Amino acid sequence: MTLASISSTPRATLVDRLTGLRVPPVVVLSFLVVALAIAWSLAPGLFTGYDPVSGTPAQKLLGPSAAHWFGTDHLGRDLYARIVYGTASSVASALIAVVIGVVVGGIIGLLAGFFGGWVDTVFARLVDVLLAIPKFLLAVIVVTAIGFDTTNAAIATGVSAVALFARVMRSEVIKTRQATFVESSFLLGGSRWHILWRHVLPNASRSVLPLAVLQFGDSILVIASLAFLGYGDPPPASDWGLLISIGKDYLKWPWLVYAPALVTIATVLSVNRISRWLRKTD
Amino acid sequence: MNDRSFRSLLSRRRLLTATSALAFAALVATVNVAPALAEDGAHDGGDVVFLIDSLGDTWIPNNSAISSFQGHIWGHVTDKLLYVDAHGKVSPWIAERWEQNDSATEFTLHLKTGVTFSDGSPLDAAAVVANLDIWYAGRKSEGINPIGLFPKTYDHAEAVNATTVKVFFKKPTLGFIPTLGYHGSILISPKTIASPASAQADLSKTSGSGPYVVESWKEGDYVKLAKRKDYNWGPAAVGQTGPAHLDTITYKLVSEPSLRVAAVQSGQADVGYNASPQELESLKSEGLTVATPRYLGFVNGWAVNTKLAPYDDVKVRQALQAGINRQEIIDTVYTPDWKLATSFIQSNVPGATDQSALLAYDPDKAEKLLDEAGWKKGPGGIRVKDGKPLLLTLNSNPYLATSKSIDELISQQLGKIGWKVDIRAYDVVTFGQKVKYGGAGVPAYEVTRSFIDAGTVASILTNANNGENWFALDESDKTLNDLRDKIAGAGSIEARKPLLDELQKYVLDQGYFIPRTQIVQRIYVQSPKLKGEVYNGVAYASYYTATKSK
Amino acid sequence: MSKAYFNYAGKRLLQAIVVILLSYVFTFVVVSILPGDPITNVLNNPQNGFTPDEIKEIIAAQGLDKPIPVQLWNAFSGFLTGDLGLSMRTNRPVATLIAEVLPSTLVLASAGLAVALLLAAIIAYGTQFLPQRFGQGLLRGFPSLFLSVPNFVIGLVLIHLFGFQLGVFRVIEPDSFWATLFAAIALGIPISAQIAEVLIANLDHESGQDYATVARGRGLSQMRLFVKHLLKPSSLPVITVVALTIGELLGGSLITETVFGRNGLGSLVQRSVSTQDLPVLQAVVSLAAVVFVVVNLIADLTYPLLDPRVKLLGTQQRRPTTADDSSLPISKAVTP
Repeated sequence: MTLASISSTPRATLVDRLTGLRVPPVVVLSFLVVALAIAWSLAPGLFTGYDPVSGTPAQKLLGPSAAHWFGTDHLGRDLYARIVYGTASSVASALIAVVIGVVVGGIIGLLAGFFGGWVDTVFARLVDVLLAIPKFLLAVIVVTAIGFDTTNAAIATGVSAVALFARVMRSEVIKTRQATFVESSFLLGGSRWHILWRHVLPNASRSVLPLAVLQFGDSILVIASLAFLGYGDPPPASDWGLLISIGKDYLKWPWLVYAPALVTIATVLSVNRISRWLRKTD
Repeated sequence: MNDRSFRSLLSRRRLLTATSALAFAALVATVNVAPALAEDGAHDGGDVVFLIDSLGDTWIPNNSAISSFQGHIWGHVTDKLLYVDAHGKVSPWIAERWEQNDSATEFTLHLKTGVTFSDGSPLDAAAVVANLDIWYAGRKSEGINPIGLFPKTYDHAEAVNATTVKVFFKKPTLGFIPTLGYHGSILISPKTIASPASAQADLSKTSGSGPYVVESWKEGDYVKLAKRKDYNWGPAAVGQTGPAHLDTITYKLVSEPSLRVAAVQSGQADVGYNASPQELESLKSEGLTVATPRYLGFVNGWAVNTKLAPYDDVKVRQALQAGINRQEIIDTVYTPDWKLATSFIQSNVPGATDQSALLAYDPDKAEKLLDEAGWKKGPGGIRVKDGKPLLLTLNSNPYLATSKSIDELISQQLGKIGWKVDIRAYDVVTFGQKVKYGGAGVPAYEVTRSFIDAGTVASILTNANNGENWFALDESDKTLNDLRDKIAGAGSIEARKPLLDELQKYVLDQGYFIPRTQIVQRIYVQSPKLKGEVYNGVAYASYYTATKSK
Repeated sequence: MSKAYFNYAGKRLLQAIVVILLSYVFTFVVVSILPGDPITNVLNNPQNGFTPDEIKEIIAAQGLDKPIPVQLWNAFSGFLTGDLGLSMRTNRPVATLIAEVLPSTLVLASAGLAVALLLAAIIAYGTQFLPQRFGQGLLRGFPSLFLSVPNFVIGLVLIHLFGFQLGVFRVIEPDSFWATLFAAIALGIPISAQIAEVLIANLDHESGQDYATVARGRGLSQMRLFVKHLLKPSSLPVITVVALTIGELLGGSLITETVFGRNGLGSLVQRSVSTQDLPVLQAVVSLAAVVFVVVNLIADLTYPLLDPRVKLLGTQQRRPTTADDSSLPISKAVTP
C-alpha cells in the first residue's frame, strides 16, 4: 500500500469542453440542479416566504399541499422552507470537507511526490494508516474527538478524504516530474519551487478536479450519515441530513423523510454526473 | 405441592379446627395468590417482549441500578427493603417493620423470613448488612461506585440476629427509610457482591431475590428473564406476593422509536418504550394501551443561574416565568396525557402545592417587566440594554427526547417578546462535561430528576451541606436559607407541609426555577392483551403482577 | 519465486505491521483530544449525587488522572501482548465484547458483498449486451444513482416496505434470514456501484480487443462470451476492488446495523462512541486495520503469482490496477 502511479491521458481544459458545446442534456439538467442548490444557499429568502425557524404550532404535521409544497413538520414549520434554508449549511459543510481533503491531501501528496526519499516514506505510512481505517469509521472517530456539530462533521469528513487526494496528487506529481518538459526545465536550472508552481501543480490539478467534484457529492452523503447518527448541529438547524434524521422519528408522516431525501439524492446525483462528464471528455 | 392438594389440605383443616383454619387461610391468601388466580380461569404463562431504546452500559449492580434502562431489569430481578408507590407511600417489602430512635440516628429493620437469592443463599440480616455497606462505600479501586444518593451520614450496620438489622448514622438521617425504596437500593446476593467487578459486569452471574431471574443476555442486544417459581415475598402493596404470572420477559434493544412502536402495532412485540409523544393519540385510537406515568420528583424546567447577567435581575427572571406558554408546549409537543406544571415539583409528590397562578402565561406582563428592567426593543425585535442583546442560551437535556422540540418552541414564544434564544444540543458525554448548575455558559440548567422524599428538596438548592447550589445563590438568599433549615428540622410531616408550600411559592415567585411541564420520562405503548402491570414511584413498569391473554 | 519476490514480500509484511500499530496509536491520540470517558461521565451526572471528593477518589483509583502519554503506554504495552483491556463503559473484557458481536457483522458483510457482486455483475452484463435502445444507457446510470442515495434512506425504505407493509420479516428479529438479506441489500447497493464501475470499464476495454470480436464473429452465445472471455480477464482488478471495499463494508455496517437494529461491530462502535469508550474504539479500529491490511497484503502478494503479465521490478512494482484509487469509481484509472 504505497502511493502509486495512476495513468491518465492528457485532457482538454474545461473551457475547451464548454465551447465545444457537446454538452449532453442530462449534464445540462445536472448543472441546473446544482445551480438551484447554490441559489437556495445564497438567497433562500427569494424562494420561500415561510420562516424556517418559527412555525404555527397549530398547523403541525400537515401533508404536502399548494400552501406547503413539502408539508409541515412537528412544530408546524414549512418543510420546503426548512430545506431551502438548510441548503447553505449542507453545501458549505460539503465544501469545507472537500477543501480540507484537497488542500491537506494535496500538500501531502505534493511534498511526498516532489521530494521523494524519507519525506515520501513518512507520509506514505501516515496515508496508509488513514487508508486502513474505514472511511466512515474514521469520520465517526474524528467527529467524536472534536465534538458534535455540522462543521466538525465536515472536518471529520474532510480528514477521511485526505488519503485519497494525497495518493492521487502524489502519483500525478511523480508523473509530471518525469515528463520530458519538466526534466528539461531542471536541466535548464529552473528553481524547484518554480517548477513545482509552473509545471507540476497545473498538471496535477487537472486530475484532481473531477475527483474533487465527486468528493463533494460524497461529502454531502457522509455528513448526512453523521447527522443521521446524531453528530450534527443542534436545532433549529435544518441541514438535509438533520431533516432526514428528525423525519425518521415521525415515519407516520413520511414526507418528513422523503422530501429532504429526494433533494439530497437529486443534488448528489447531479454532482456525480458532472464529475463523470468532466472525466469523460478526455 | 400443587394447587389441588393445597386446596384439599385447606378444606380438611377447615373441617377440623375452624379457628386455626381462619388464620391459616389468611396466610395462604397472602402467600399464594397466584395459583388461586390461575384456577379462576385467568391466565398464567405467556411471554412478553419489551422493546427498549438502550440497555445502558455496565451491569455492575451499584453502577447501573439507577439507570433509566437497566432499572427495568433490576426491578424484576431484585427486591428492595421497602416499597414506594406512585404517590410516594412507603410500605413493607423485605423489611416487614422498622423502628428508629428519637434523634433518627439509629434504625432497626425486621426482615421477612424464608427469602432466598436465586443462587440459594438466604436474604438474611448478614446479606442486608453487606448490601448497605456496598451501597455506601462501593469498592472504588475496582470500579464499583457507591450509590450516589445513599445517605453519606451512614456509619455502620450490624446483624443483631438472622432477621434483625441495626443501622447507625453519624447524624440524624430522616431520609434513610424512603431511600430504601429508591431504585438504587436493590438487594443483591452477598456472593455476587463479593465477586470482582468484571464478574459483576456479567449480568448472568448476578443473583437477586426478585420474581424473575436472568435466563440469557447479550450486551447491547437483549436480556431475557424467566419466572422464579418459588418466589413468594412480593410487596403486599401491589396486591400479590406469590410467583409472577408471565413465564418470560425479554427486553430487546431497538434504537429507533418509530420501529419500536410499529413493532407493537403489528403484534411483533408487546411493549414499546419511549415512543414519540406525537404518535400517542393515533396509537390509542388503534386500541393500544398508552401509559405515561409520572415519577416522584422535580418537574421538567430550568434552574436559573442568578450569577449570570441578566438573570441576576429578578424582573428578567419573572419575565421569563410569564413569557412561556406552557399550554402550547403540551398542545404542540405533547398530548393531554401530560400535565401542566403547578409547582416546581410534580403534583403527585406528597407536599406539592398548586402554584398555577405564578405560572400563568402573560406576555404583556413579561414585556412590561422587561421594559422596567431597561431592556428596550431594538432592530429585529430583539431587546437591547447597554448595547447587549437579551440572550438566553439553552442546553437541551440529552436525557429527555422532547427537550430539543420544547426548546425550539419556547424560543419562538420568547422571540415574540424580544428574547434571542440560542439552543445547544450536546451529547450525553459533552453535556456532562460542560453543562453544570451555575456554569459560566449556562444561564438555565434543564432539570430532569426524581426523588423519593420532598423533604430533601430544599437542601440541594443551596450549597450548604454538600448541596448542589442550583441557582448559584450560595448562602446569599436569607429567606431560602431559613426555609431550608426549618424544613430540615421539622419534626413531622404536618409541621413540614406549610414550610414546603412557602418554599414553592418563594422559588417560583423569584423566578429561580422556571417550570416547563410536569415530566413523563418513561412512555409505554402496550398491546391490549397485556394487563395488570404496576408503576412504582419512579415510574418503572413492573410486570410481576401482569397477565397476558392469548 | 525469485529472490526479488521474497524481498518484496518481506518489506510489505513489515509495512503492514507498522500500519496496524500506528492505527492503534492514532485512535488513542484522536480520541484523547476531547476530555471525557464513560467513568467520569457517570460521576459528573448530578442525578447520581456524587460529591467532588468521591469523584476525585474514583478517578484516581481508575488511573484516569495520569498523563495521557502514560495512559497510552499502559494501553499500548497491553496491546502488544495481545491484551485489549477492559471496556470502561461495560467493565467487561474488550475481547469478549468483540467476540460477541463479530459473527453478526461477518454475516452481514459477506452477505452485503455477495449482493454487491451479484448486482454489479447484472449491471455490467446489461451494459454489454442490452441493445442500446433498451435501457443500456439507463443501466450505465445505475452506479451513479446507487452512489447518490444515502444508505440509511435505502434501509429505512426497505424496513417500512418489507418489514411493515408487506410483513416479509420481523423487525425485532434482525438476525433472521429475510431481515439479514434486506440489511445486506441496503449495505450492498452503494458498494455494488463501485464494483460495477470497474467491471464496466474493464469490459468496455476488453470487448474492444481483437479476441472478443473474433469470438463474437464465431457466434458464441452472448452469455458464454461474457463469462468465458470477458469476465475472466476483467476479474483481476475486481479482486482488488473487493479487497479494498472491505473497509467500506465495515464502515457501511455502522449505519446499516443501526438502522436495522443488528447488534454487530458497527452498533458496538456507536455505543462506544457515545460514551467515548476508548479501549473498545481502539480495538475495533485496529481490527478493521488488520483486516484491511491483511486482505490487501494477500492481494498484493498473490497478484504477481496469478498474472504472468506482471513483472516484478523490485519493491516498487505495483499491481497494474486500480489498487491505489479503486475506492473511487473512476473507470479511467483501470489500465489492465
